[in-house]
Amino acid sequence: MKLLWAVSALLLCCWRASASTAPNIITEPSEVVNQTSAVLSCNLTESSLPIKGSHWMHNGKLVDSSMSTDATPYTTLRLDKITHSSSGKYECVFMTDPEVKQTIEVKTLPHVSTHKHSEHGNENDKGVMVCDSHGYPLPTDWTWVKEVDGIQTPIINGTSDKYEIKSTPNKTTLTINDLSINTDIGDYICFGTNELGTSHDKIHLRVRSRLAALWPFLGIVAEVIILVAIIFIYEKRRKPDEVTDDDDSGAAPLKSNSNANHKDKNVRQRNSN
Amino acid sequence: MTNHKPEAKSRSDEAAEGPDGGWSWPLVGALFVSTSLVFGLMRSLGVFFVEFVQYFEESAQAISWISSTGLAAQQFFSPLGAALCNAYDTRVVVMTGGFLAGLGFILASQATCLVHLYLSMGLISGLGWGLVFTPMVATVVANITRRRALALGLGFSSIGIVSFIFNPLFQFLVETYAWRGALLILGGLSLNIVPCGALIRPQRRPKAPEKVDSESRPSCAEVLRRVASYVELPLLMERPYLTYTSAVTLLNVGYFVPYFHLVAHSRQAGFSDYQSAFVMSAAGATDILGRVASGWFSDLGKFRLLHLLTLWTGLAGVFIMLLPVSSVFGSYAALMVISLLYGFCSGAMTSLVFAVVPMIVGVERVMGALGLLQLIESGAGLLGTPLSGLLKDVTGNYIASFMVAGGFVVLGTLTMTTLPHYFSCTDPPSPRRRSHDDNDKSLHFELEQISRSPSDAGHRGVQ
Repeated sequence: MKLLWAVSALLLCCWRASASTAPNIITEPSEVVNQTSAVLSCNLTESSLPIKGSHWMHNGKLVDSSMSTDATPYTTLRLDKITHSSSGKYECVFMTDPEVKQTIEVKTLPHVSTHKHSEHGNENDKGVMVCDSHGYPLPTDWTWVKEVDGIQTPIINGTSDKYEIKSTPNKTTLTINDLSINTDIGDYICFGTNELGTSHDKIHLRVRSRLAALWPFLGIVAEVIILVAIIFIYEKRRKPDEVTDDDDSGAAPLKSNSNANHKDKNVRQRNSN
Repeated sequence: MTNHKPEAKSRSDEAAEGPDGGWSWPLVGALFVSTSLVFGLMRSLGVFFVEFVQYFEESAQAISWISSTGLAAQQFFSPLGAALCNAYDTRVVVMTGGFLAGLGFILASQATCLVHLYLSMGLISGLGWGLVFTPMVATVVANITRRRALALGLGFSSIGIVSFIFNPLFQFLVETYAWRGALLILGGLSLNIVPCGALIRPQRRPKAPEKVDSESRPSCAEVLRRVASYVELPLLMERPYLTYTSAVTLLNVGYFVPYFHLVAHSRQAGFSDYQSAFVMSAAGATDILGRVASGWFSDLGKFRLLHLLTLWTGLAGVFIMLLPVSSVFGSYAALMVISLLYGFCSGAMTSLVFAVVPMIVGVERVMGALGLLQLIESGAGLLGTPLSGLLKDVTGNYIASFMVAGGFVVLGTLTMTTLPHYFSCTDPPSPRRRSHDDNDKSLHFELEQISRSPSDAGHRGVQ
C-alpha cells in the first residue's frame, strides 16, 4: 500500500512537472508568403504566468498601434496591404515574467529599384550603375542584362575587363570600363532573385562624347569675334576722325585733357564763358 | 553755388548728350553684361562645386576655397586694373580682363587636381575679373553724369536677374556636357566680356605722365611715383576718402550676413524649407527693385546722394537687426515684411555706394579710388561671414550674428556722417586734381561740380 502511494505520488509529481513546461505560443499563420494582406495571430497556451500585456515588433522595432495592456493570451496584428516595406520578421511579445515571444516571417518578392533611371557617362571613362533592393528576404542572386532593340544579352562578371559586377544582398553595382559611344549606349536591366521570385528595374545609359561641348564653345567664340569685329568696324566707319575728338572731349573726363582745343569741346566752350 | 547749379546742370546735359552722349547708354548695357558675367557667374558656381566634391573627392570646404580665391583675386587686383587703365587704355585692359576670365575657365575644364582649379578658376579668372569690374564701373561713372545712379543701378541689377537664369542653365550644362564641357562653355560665355570692353572708346593718351621728363631710364623713385599716381595712393592720405572707405568697409562686414544666414535662420525659427527659401527669393527680388528704383530716385536730384545713401544704409542696418526679432515671435508675415524691406534697402544702397565716390575724390580719380576701395573692403568680407558663423556656433542661434551685423552697418552709416560737409544741404565742391594746365583746371572744376554723384563703395555691395 505504501509503495502504491509512493509510486502514484512520484507519477503525479512527474506529470505535474511535465505539465509546467515552457509556455507555448501558437502562431497563425506560421509564415506569410506572397499575400496581399494577412492577419497574424499569436495564442499563448500552457502558461500560468500572469500576463501584463502584449505587443508586436517588426524587424526589431515596436509597432506602436499594437501596444496593449490586456491580460489576454491572444493577440492579433492586421496587415492590410503587404508591400516590400511591410515585409520582414514580426514578433509577438507577451509581457510575462520572463517575456515570451514568437516570430512570424512575412515574405514578399524583392523590390528592386534604382535611384537614377538615366545615367550619364563620359567617353573612355567608366560608367557606374547601381540597383538596390528593399524587402524581406533580400535577394540572393543578382544578374545584369543589356537590352538593345529588344534583344537581351546577359552580362557575365569577369569575362572581360569591361564589365565588373559587385553584389551584396542589398545592392548591386555594374561598372562598365572604357565607355564607347558605339557599343555601350542602351538599357541595362538588373534582376534580383530571392526564394519567392525575381524583380527587376531598368537604367538607360548615355555616353557623352569628349568633344560634345566643343561645338557650342566654338560657336560662342565665333559670336564674340564677330561682335568685336562689328564694333571696331562700326567705329572706324562712323567717325574716323571723331575717334581722336572723343579722346579730348569732356564727356569722358578720365582722359587727360591737355590738348583741349578741338571743335567739339562743349566743355571748352563753357570754360570760355 | 546755386547760380551755377542750373548752368552746371545744362552743361552736364550737354556733356551727357555730347559727341558721344548717345554712346553712353550702350556702356550701361556693357556694364550690365560684364557685371552679370563676373558676379552673376561667381554666384552660380554652386552647381559645379557639387560635381567637384564628387569627382575630386575633397571636402566641401576645400572646394569652396575656389570661389573665395576668385573673389579675393578680383578684389586684390582691382587697384592693378585701375592703375593699368590710368597708364594705358581702358579698352585694352577690359578686353584683356575678359580674355583672362574666359581663359581661366577654359583651363579649368582640363584640370586634373584641385590645385589646378584654384589657379585657373580662382587666380586667373579672378585676375581677369579684377581687370574688368573696376574699369567698367569707373568708365560708366565718368561717362554718365546726370543719370549716374540710375545707370549704376541698372547695371548692377543684372546680378540678381541673371542668377535666375544662370542657376538652371548651369545645371543643364553640367547634365548634358559633364562639368568639363560645362566649364569650357562657361569660358566661352566669359569671353563675351571682350565685346563689352570693345564698346569703351579708346583712349589716346595716358594720364599725367607728361610732367615726367622723358629720360631714357627713369629712376626707381620716379617709377614708383608714377605707379603710385596710377594707383592713386595719395588718396589714402585724404581724410574724406579714408573716412568713406572705412565706412564702406564697416558696411561690408555686416551687409552680406543675411544673404548667407537668412535661410538657415528661418529654418531654425521653425519655418519650413520652402518658406525659408521663398523669403530669400523675395528679398532678392526686392533687391533688384531697390537698385533700379533708388538709382532713378537719386537722379531726380531732390536730395543729396550722400544723404540718400546714409538713409538706405541706416535702414538696412536697422532691418538686419530686426530680422531675428521678427522671427523670434514666430510670425512668418513679420519675417517676410522685414526681409522685403531689407532687400529693398540693400539694393538701394548698392546702386549709390559707387556713385558717391566722384563726389569725394573727383571724377578724374574715380578709377584709382574704386580700385583701392575694392581692395580695402575685401578685408571686410573676410571678416564678416566667418565672424557671424562663429557667433552662431558660440551662441547657438543667429540672433547675435544678425545683431552684430546690423550693428556694423549702422556703425558704417555713422562713420559716413563724419564726412566733411555732411550736414550741408548741397554738395561741396569736390576736390580737384592738380592738373597741368589752367584749361584743365577750370575744366575739372566744372566737371566736378557737375559730377557730384555717389561713387565707390562696396563693390561687394554691388553683388
